[in-house]
Amino acid sequence: MRDRALKITAGLIFVLSVILAVYIMVNGLGLVEGLDFGAGAYYYADIPEFDRYVNSEAYKSPVSMWVIIALFLIWGWAMYRFLLWVDGKGR
Amino acid sequence: MVGKKWYSSEDSAANILGFIMIAAGLAITLSGIDFAAFSFKTWHNFSELSGQFSDASLSRLARTFVILAVLFTAGAKMKGESALRFFAGFTALFVLAVIVRLISAEYEASRYLEWAFFALFIGLLVSNTVGVPDFLKPAIQTEYYIKTGLVVMGFSVLFSNIVNFGLYGLAIAWGVTPLVIIFMWYFGRKVLKIDNDPFVITIASATSVCGTSAAIATAAASDAKKTDLSLAVSISIIFTVIMMVLEPVIIRWLGLGELIGGALIGGTVDSTGAVTVAGTALGKLGQTTAVLVKSIQNILIGFIAFAVAVFFTARSGGKSHKVSASEIWTRLPKFILGFFAASLIASFIVQPIFGRPLVNSVNKLLDQYKNWAFVLAFTSIGLSTNFRELKEQVSGGKPLTLYVVGQLFNIVLTFAVVYVALSGRFFPLPTIAQ
Repeated sequence: MRDRALKITAGLIFVLSVILAVYIMVNGLGLVEGLDFGAGAYYYADIPEFDRYVNSEAYKSPVSMWVIIALFLIWGWAMYRFLLWVDGKGR
Repeated sequence: MVGKKWYSSEDSAANILGFIMIAAGLAITLSGIDFAAFSFKTWHNFSELSGQFSDASLSRLARTFVILAVLFTAGAKMKGESALRFFAGFTALFVLAVIVRLISAEYEASRYLEWAFFALFIGLLVSNTVGVPDFLKPAIQTEYYIKTGLVVMGFSVLFSNIVNFGLYGLAIAWGVTPLVIIFMWYFGRKVLKIDNDPFVITIASATSVCGTSAAIATAAASDAKKTDLSLAVSISIIFTVIMMVLEPVIIRWLGLGELIGGALIGGTVDSTGAVTVAGTALGKLGQTTAVLVKSIQNILIGFIAFAVAVFFTARSGGKSHKVSASEIWTRLPKFILGFFAASLIASFIVQPIFGRPLVNSVNKLLDQYKNWAFVLAFTSIGLSTNFRELKEQVSGGKPLTLYVVGQLFNIVLTFAVVYVALSGRFFPLPTIAQ
């Protein structure tokens, strides 16, 4: 019963999403004049002159890069251990 | 294994080809020669389309073909395959890839859909109608193209981007991303009981990091099936179109403001291009904030892919915590190391010596070659997939449920972190130049 409800709900969401996406594309909604890229530019290097949209002048961090990298690695390590724990619980 | 050369594995071939491309890109950029790969300009009508086939562009197209054919055929030879058979198949595959890029350069289509969508579509169309001719089959090597493209892409994953938005960006992009992946991993496996682990991690990465590129990297790192990748990418593409348009509208309606709204868009809309467009819809501050957050998310791909590779390697023996480091090293897909090495070289050697503008120029050159590799990969996926496989994959609605629930969790959690970081109630507001 639960599986059937899930299947029907997911099917409805899928159909509505496709209809909405097609409607958006057909009517050209959400586009910005002058930006000749959209969802198709999926990675920053795909965007022409990406630095125009963000450069090192946009925000000056008062914290050094190495502190940020250290925090980045600590959080990454903690999250990896968390994933292992969650995976162990789920098995 | 006896008698196998170190370079005969697919990963080694991908690493060698990737670094040849990077080294050549660097040398060519430094020498100032124009060696860019062919790409179609966006076109509105037939005259604009036909206008692109000038002698100059045709020679650039031919040059692109020769470079890719020589490199990939040499790699196939290293892997012990027949160079002649591979080359024949590759030529036909390249023709299909040209058609894909031609269609995906159509003005309206290019602003909403990725070429990955059209590559899958055309590949599926061919394989499910006229069928794939035998001479093309030796060149249908999805993982080979993906791994090579990823090593090249590694050069554009710059660590310096991590400071783009200081601690604010770190909290918003890196604080949320792994939690969303872990939530989706748990929800997909425990609640939805999806028994396809590589698929769960692939769609989780696509949702939390940056759509197609993250899906490509983690699918390769977890050894996911082709249908896993194509389904994850298809779902991500459809919802990116919707979120790109609706999210700015909802943000304005809720009165969240450009700073919070831009950060929310940067953290939740999958594709970088769509983030820029959606952020711009809010205003200049919205655009800058959205792109700042997304630029940090972009560098996460390498770490996520590496962690996924280690995680799947470690648990492949059935005892997730007890595999030795040497065993992990032996089993680890080596292209991930190439991808990581390229990122480290770009970030800590090339950029400090030659500066950011040169790295950007090299990446601009490499980017198109990488895109060709990925187009070849996605066309290969379409060519080697039948509709029945895809139908089986989506049966029960679990993949879509996983994406929708995961994306909602992503939006709620990102909003919570963005509000704490950027509302001004808990921390001082950042000064962002516009």
